[in-house]
Amino acid sequence: MKRFIFALIVSSLLSSCTGYPRLLNLTGLNSSYLEASPQISSRFIVFTSDRNGSQDVYLFDTQARRFVNNPGLNSLDEIASHPSITEDGKYIVFAGSRQGSTNIYIYNRETQQKRNLTANIQAEVRNPSISADGSRVVFEVAKNGQWDLAVYDIAESRLTE
Amino acid sequence: MAHPVRWIGWGFSCSLLVLLSACNSTTTTSGPAEINSRYNEEQPAISGNGRWLAMVSNRRGTSEIMLYDLQGRRFEGLSGFYAGDAIAQSPSLSLTGRYLVYLVTLDGRPAIALYDRITKRSDLLFSGYRRWIQQPQISPDGRYVVFQSARKGQWDIEVLDRGPNIELDIPDGTPIPNP
Repeated sequence: MKRFIFALIVSSLLSSCTGYPRLLNLTGLNSSYLEASPQISSRFIVFTSDRNGSQDVYLFDTQARRFVNNPGLNSLDEIASHPSITEDGKYIVFAGSRQGSTNIYIYNRETQQKRNLTANIQAEVRNPSISADGSRVVFEVAKNGQWDLAVYDIAESRLTE
Repeated sequence: MAHPVRWIGWGFSCSLLVLLSACNSTTTTSGPAEINSRYNEEQPAISGNGRWLAMVSNRRGTSEIMLYDLQGRRFEGLSGFYAGDAIAQSPSLSLTGRYLVYLVTLDGRPAIALYDRITKRSDLLFSGYRRWIQQPQISPDGRYVVFQSARKGQWDIEVLDRGPNIELDIPDGTPIPNP
C-alpha cells in the first residue's frame, strides 16, 4: 500500500511537469463570443472579437493580464480583420471593411492615429501583416484575376507588387 | 583507332547525361525571381526583421508553402519540409525567419507543424487535438504560438508555450532576463 501511494505521488509529480509544448491558460482572454485571427509579440496578443456587437481589434497585455484600450483604433461601422502588432507594440495593422470597401490601416498607438495604406489601390485587399520590427507590411491584392502579394515599405512609403 | 560512330554515340550519351542531371537541380532558382506569378499567391507572412516572406502559392501546380528572400530577391529551398497528408497552409515566421510554423492535416485532423531552417527539419508541434484549429502564428522570439480553435460553437484563442529550453530567435548579443 505504501509503495502504491509512493508511486502515485511520484507519477502525479511527474505529470505536473509534463513538458512542453503546452497550452497556457490565460484567464480573461476569451469571451463567450467570437475570438479570431490572433497574433502574438513578446508582450501582446492582438485578435478580433465581436464581443461588443461589432467585429473589432482587441489588444491583450500578457504581462498585466488585461486588455489595453486603444482610442481611435476601432469604429462602430467597420469590420476589422487580420490584425498584427510590432514587437515594441507601437503599430497595429489590420484590414478594415466599411461602406463596401476594404482597406489596410496602420494604427500608431503613441499618436492614436490610424492611416489608410491602400487608398490608392483600386482592388480588393486582405490578410495584412506587419513585420515585428515595423519595417514592412505585406498583404494580398486581387489583381489580374488572382490573388497577388504586395509589400509596403513603411520608411520609404513604397509599395512593391 | 576507334570507329567514329562509336565516338558520336559516346558523346551523345554524355550530353544526355548532362541534360538529365541539369533537370535534377533543386528548387532554388538562380537570378532574381518575382514574388508574384500568374497563379494565386496567398496568406503572406513576413519575418520579424522584414526580410523573409512566406506564402502559399499555386505556381507549380500544387498549393504549397514557399519562402521568398526580399533582400536577395529569390526563393529559398525548403529541404526537409514536411507538408502533411494534404495541403500545408497558414505560414508564419519568427524574427529572422528561422522558425516557420504552419498548419497541416494528419488523418483529416489539423495539426501545427514547425520547420526549423537551421536543422532543416519539420516537427509536429501540436496534434491530436479534438477541435478544429486555424491560423497559427509564432511569436518573433519563437517561444509562443497562438492559434484559433473551435469551441462551444465559436472560435476562441489558444496560446501554446514551446518552453524555456528552445533556442530563441533573437538578435545575437541580446541580454536574456532572469526568469
